Amino acid sequence: MITLNLNDQVIKSLSRPELDILKYAYENTEALLTMTIQELAGAVSYSSATILRFCKKLGYSGFAEFKYALRAELRRTGPEISVQSGHQFTTGMLIDTISSNIQATSKLIREEQLNQTFRYLDSGCPIYLWSPGGLASVAVEYFEKLLLSIGRQEVYFVESVRMFEHILRSRTGPCLLILISTSGKYPTTIRLGKIAQVNNIPILSITPYANNEVAELADVNFRFFSNERENLGAEFTSRLPVFFVINTIIQCYLRYKEPSPADGEGGGYAAFI
Amino acid sequence: MLPLFEKARRLRLTETEKTILAYFEAHPAAVVHMNLSDLCAQLYTSNATIVRFCQKLELSGFNDFKYQLRSELRDSRAAAFYADEYISHSIARFQDTIAALDIPLLEEIARLLTSGRPLYIYGTNLSALPARYLQIALNSLDYPSILIEWGDLLNGLVRNMDSRAVLLVITARGRGERYLEPFRSAKARGLTTVLLTSERRSPLIPCSTITVCTNDLQEYYQRTDVNPRIGLFTVIQILIELTAQRKREAAETAEMPETTEAADS
Repeated sequence: MITLNLNDQVIKSLSRPELDILKYAYENTEALLTMTIQELAGAVSYSSATILRFCKKLGYSGFAEFKYALRAELRRTGPEISVQSGHQFTTGMLIDTISSNIQATSKLIREEQLNQTFRYLDSGCPIYLWSPGGLASVAVEYFEKLLLSIGRQEVYFVESVRMFEHILRSRTGPCLLILISTSGKYPTTIRLGKIAQVNNIPILSITPYANNEVAELADVNFRFFSNERENLGAEFTSRLPVFFVINTIIQCYLRYKEPSPADGEGGGYAAFI
Repeated sequence: MLPLFEKARRLRLTETEKTILAYFEAHPAAVVHMNLSDLCAQLYTSNATIVRFCQKLELSGFNDFKYQLRSELRDSRAAAFYADEYISHSIARFQDTIAALDIPLLEEIARLLTSGRPLYIYGTNLSALPARYLQIALNSLDYPSILIEWGDLLNGLVRNMDSRAVLLVITARGRGERYLEPFRSAKARGLTTVLLTSERRSPLIPCSTITVCTNDLQEYYQRTDVNPRIGLFTVIQILIELTAQRKREAAETAEMPETTEAADS
């Protein structure tokens, strides 16, 4: 797995074209290694200057050093297993898209974000999850149910905006707000985030890789790659990368709490194949 | 101390090189983000001096030095667990799910989902989430279905469903004691059943028309099911995409005759 030199600060500093280049680099690492900067510019349809700026923001002196780091990482980790490139052209393509979004998302998860999250989970403070309804609420409920399943107390799933605003405004002790947004632009979610910020309530968010207002408000922000999809206003954007991020948080938390899987009756965490 | 710096300390260094080493030791995290010219400006020295210092450490140059420093910094962090390791494993598991997909079978399920036959989707406990996810996404695509989240309701409904109905059941553990009865009634009544499970030995498999089995681990925490169902969600996401694709194709073929007529006239 290639891990580029990325943290949330770096991602926040990237412009839309630069994020596209990042996604391209994750999805086409091996091809990129043999490209010149002009060839990459052609492939991503941005100028060489944009690519250079992108490399510099990631902490490399230029494209050559960026490629050098990629090559060294690839040597360290071995080449990526290529995903099934379907026999049926279109089906293969859609599976490749799903797969590359998950892989690129996994590369954005940093250990420091997880550690920061674990501090909130360990603190025992109440956790409030805002559910905007529809597909998004399935992801929110997934987080809630998994937190409760691993024994975390005081996890509250709230569906009413006014109730949520009331809770945020009237809370006195420490607590955590969890916001999951597929676009990062949903006005209600942003408003709730702002109320939390004014009331000094820390926010953990899961939002798209592109810059967005929800992420700006968050203290810990996990990012994911997904392609927005809709059918005449009814959206069905894939939440699979969000489920992946949530599951990673939960599973890593279990391993952090009990580094060696406990066996036996009193049982902590146990897996059976 | 980082092995790279220990090695440097054992070397015979000039005064300038000692200054460079002292700077690196004081700001290791910053150095990995610097380029050669920034560093030269900072240290009032030349590119060549820094490169020579790197070469003394048997590295090809400053880029190589930064790469080495970055990996050592990463390795030196005292962590009780290694997130990267877990993430690599879960990606490998995800890739296994993708590689094991039976595409024609999933296309057959997508055909059933878009057939216009009465569609029921069942899932309870944690499996209620993938069930609801599929139901909402199908709604967005104009293929309505009925979501069942209660076991008792499933038992009752299955006895009265139209024989053309399609029943899609999501159960990670594929438990026979709970679902064998409704599956048997469904089979006896000629319903089409689709089983999505992560239990290869599920006794429900022989009773279902189509089965898709994922490789999710049956994980428990203090006897509570925490099987993440990522494999099940992956299969469902692919079913959603295949459904969207079928919808698009149907819309395109519906437009075709008009274009032909227009051409004729």
